Amino acid sequence: MTGAASRMPFLDKSVNHLAALIKTTYIQWDTAHKEGLFQKLDARVKVLFLLFFIIIVSVKRTLLPEVAIGGLVFILAVVSRLDLLSFYGRVLFLGFVFGFLIALPSCLNIVVEGEVIMPIMHLSEPYQFWVYRIPETIGITRQGLDVVFILTLRVINSLSISFLVIYTTPFQEIMKALKSLRVPDTFLMIITLSYKYIFIFAQTFEDIHLAKKGRTVKANAAEARSWVAGRMGFLLRRTRTRCEEVFNAMLARGFCGEVAIHNWGKVGKMDIMSGAGLLLAGCFVLFI
Amino acid sequence: METIIAVENASYCYHNTIQALVDVTLRVGEGGKWAVIGANGSGKSTLLRLMSGLVHPDSGKIFFRGQEVSARSLKDKDFLRFFREGVGYIFQDSDVQLFCPTVLDELLFGPVQLGIDQDEAMDRACGVMKMLEIEGLGNRPSYMLSGGEKKRVAIGSVLTMNPQVLLLDEPTNGLDPRTQCFLSELIFELNEAGKTIFIGTHDLTLVDEFQPTVAVLSEEHNIEKVGSADEILQDEDLLLKVNLIHEHMHYHGRTAHTHRHSHYVYHKHEAIK
Repeated sequence: MTGAASRMPFLDKSVNHLAALIKTTYIQWDTAHKEGLFQKLDARVKVLFLLFFIIIVSVKRTLLPEVAIGGLVFILAVVSRLDLLSFYGRVLFLGFVFGFLIALPSCLNIVVEGEVIMPIMHLSEPYQFWVYRIPETIGITRQGLDVVFILTLRVINSLSISFLVIYTTPFQEIMKALKSLRVPDTFLMIITLSYKYIFIFAQTFEDIHLAKKGRTVKANAAEARSWVAGRMGFLLRRTRTRCEEVFNAMLARGFCGEVAIHNWGKVGKMDIMSGAGLLLAGCFVLFI
Repeated sequence: METIIAVENASYCYHNTIQALVDVTLRVGEGGKWAVIGANGSGKSTLLRLMSGLVHPDSGKIFFRGQEVSARSLKDKDFLRFFREGVGYIFQDSDVQLFCPTVLDELLFGPVQLGIDQDEAMDRACGVMKMLEIEGLGNRPSYMLSGGEKKRVAIGSVLTMNPQVLLLDEPTNGLDPRTQCFLSELIFELNEAGKTIFIGTHDLTLVDEFQPTVAVLSEEHNIEKVGSADEILQDEDLLLKVNLIHEHMHYHGRTAHTHRHSHYVYHKHEAIK
């Protein structure tokens, strides 16, 4: 059986990743219900905070405001009793991939002109292609490094604000907040159904894989690939069937093509005060 | 007793090839209690789906309070509302029925679709949560519920619409004994409160406890017999014929017994070899 597992590592890995997805969501549910400051806030205030601060991050292009936002998010993460290692582990990893690596070419004087502080290579003469100019000395510029640094910082800040809200707000509260912000009901229903389907899909896939593994004595990689392809089609068919069943369940409860979701009550005084505090902090960052 | 739902000579085929129901006729009286029993694949769920207006018979007709339920009549929004308010369908698979973000949203979905006032919808949801003993689950998403909790929420999601008729597809299937007992009592109380109950099941214990009028579906997908619960449960030849009980042999010490056996009611020794 160990041989069987080693011949199909990609399958085991995929299934493990799906199982991890479910586990992560349970952890998110757990952190979203901790007794922290941000968890107590109304989801509508948090969603507005998210939108406001993402706009500030996009607008500001200097170091000081970005550092201030980073500091504020750090304090909020601490008082929300989040696991800082896990929180910043994710933020920094994604920030490195989608911020630093993507922006990295900007530090060369081919992309951003400026004072070269670290020459990399010398050409015999400069070249001109259409609107692009390749200088005689290609190297890293001070201005380019600034651009990469600021861009990475902005990506990290955007990610940390988003993760802060996601980690401290249950999914269903986010949906309610979006409802209050006049996001169309149909759109919310689609998001909710899709979100729920991820779990059903992950569970079904894991069950199928384990059922197959339980009956496999001798594994063959080619057969395994063929089996996976076949099961994808099978899952698609099951998805369609389930989709029809859920639609029938909706019809049976009065759905007639126009989604209506219950409206939620007013925001409390504490939430308004906290929201005002965050708004002031945002305005302060905006003007520094 | 006035007829609330009538099925007249209904037949239904899946994909025009797989026969699911053949010439079924039933008249369910208002406030009555009915059960349709039959082996797996005999057409119980299909019959319930026809009665809930989710699918329509290939031939024959379905009536609710004397008005025909068809694809055409359900296009009329007034009739659709009248029908959905009147008939609630609880699916066998609760996962299918729970599609909202939280339990509370689930309970509010039906009333909100029917255009019921938001405050009244909330009152209904709170009342149903109390009745079903799920008050602590309001903010829980459905994927974090146990099987028994899911079933309670699925029933609650229909009860908040306050329908006159409740169609329950295998309500006790896959539940632990305590939840089964809770559900049996709940169904009994709902009927006592005036709801018309129609259950599709092969749980003979439930039939024995609830004492409904029983329609037996054969493996040929037609109604084999309609009678009282006692009459049907005592007709062992009929139950054997429709595959709801079976004969088997086992040992008591060194003595082998052959008897008709159901996992619910019957365990009567007939002959000793």
